[in-house]
Amino acid sequence: MFSKKKITLAYTVEKCSKCKMTKKRKFAEGDVLFSESSKCNSCGELTMIEKIFGETLE
Amino acid sequence: MDFTNLDFDQLFGMKDDTNPLMMLVWILPIILFVFYGQRIQLYVTSSELKKGIKKLDSFREESRDELIEYLKKNMKLDVDPVKKIEQFLDYFTIMPVDMDPNGIVDKVQHTVRAREDYTREHLKSLSPQISDFELSKVQTLLEIASSLQMIYKIINHMFLTAKKQNNYPLILPLQMILPFIMEQAVAMKDAIPAFKSGQPVGDGIGPMVVGKMMLECPKEIVSFQTVLAKTDFEDRTLFLLKAEGPGSTVGRPADALDVITSDSKIDAIIMIDAALKMEGEDSASIARGFGAAIGGIGTERFSIEAIATSKKIPVFSIVVKQSVSEAITLMTKEIADTADDVSAQVYEMIQENTLQGQSVVIIGVGNTAGVPQ
Repeated sequence: MFSKKKITLAYTVEKCSKCKMTKKRKFAEGDVLFSESSKCNSCGELTMIEKIFGETLE
Repeated sequence: MDFTNLDFDQLFGMKDDTNPLMMLVWILPIILFVFYGQRIQLYVTSSELKKGIKKLDSFREESRDELIEYLKKNMKLDVDPVKKIEQFLDYFTIMPVDMDPNGIVDKVQHTVRAREDYTREHLKSLSPQISDFELSKVQTLLEIASSLQMIYKIINHMFLTAKKQNNYPLILPLQMILPFIMEQAVAMKDAIPAFKSGQPVGDGIGPMVVGKMMLECPKEIVSFQTVLAKTDFEDRTLFLLKAEGPGSTVGRPADALDVITSDSKIDAIIMIDAALKMEGEDSASIARGFGAAIGGIGTERFSIEAIATSKKIPVFSIVVKQSVSEAITLMTKEIADTADDVSAQVYEMIQENTLQGQSVVIIGVGNTAGVPQ
């Protein structure tokens, strides 16, 4: 009766191998762990997907 | 009617002046409960169970529809898959007779593998050009849908039998196990989106740690859906082993270990796996121990233990604690955050338990969905 519906959102964390900068963004279809993703905002080097995880909102 | 001057003594007393009609008010329910108590409890319990069974039915339906929709959307099908899928969902596995337990593990392994091979081949026949990655996803979705169907059928059967016999004691065990069954069923239903999108699940923490250690190393397929990479760490040789990702599979680590140990002398085995947490334990806590950390029906663990015992290799384990639901749904942030810590503990374990010049096998156990190497 009082149970709240939980929504899990998937996130991808990218990490730059050069400057170690990390960026968290929403998971996009085709994201795979350890694959090269986008360019690093601070040094321009290619980032690698470090983590994919879900966070639950109530 | 004046309710302010009720004489409770006259209503509920047992004296000579007590109203006999009022005595019936509390004597009748006692008689009613003595003779019909179980039946009343049966009705009350039945309504609770019915709600659970209705949910199980909706999970079964939902998982089946999602599977069919996924097949139609992602596989180039020549025929309508509905009939074939219906057949697959009703497939059952008869486990070997265990009156004589001698050789039972090989028989169980043979039966289970035969079922997996059959399902894989027949799914492939639906769409011959399907990639192995997609095939493993479909196979997992099929396993989920067929498990939910089986759970619904068994629970519904137990419920209807108890109702048919008007047998309250028969419904009690069902009432006791239903919350645990529901937890598993909800977890399975919630696992579908993660497997469909190829995202890592909580059980994938072992493959995730080993997969990262493998990244720069040359890799080879050592047994069915199982990858091996060789590397060095402080004058020790490391044999890194995990299921072949990013498809949804657990691989065959025991077969792989057999190959490795027949070619090289191994001094230690370290297994990294997800483990079910106990109530009260923190999720994503890390624990170390001895023995083979691997779940499933037990055949892989049996084989790994047999190899380790025959070659006198110590087996160490590192586990990441999590709930049933966390293990098969999208990996939580807390579990993903443990990866670096687990990796550091693996290297620490190697330093503590082996000498320079020795060899160690490190096995990332679990479903490698969404985790490549």
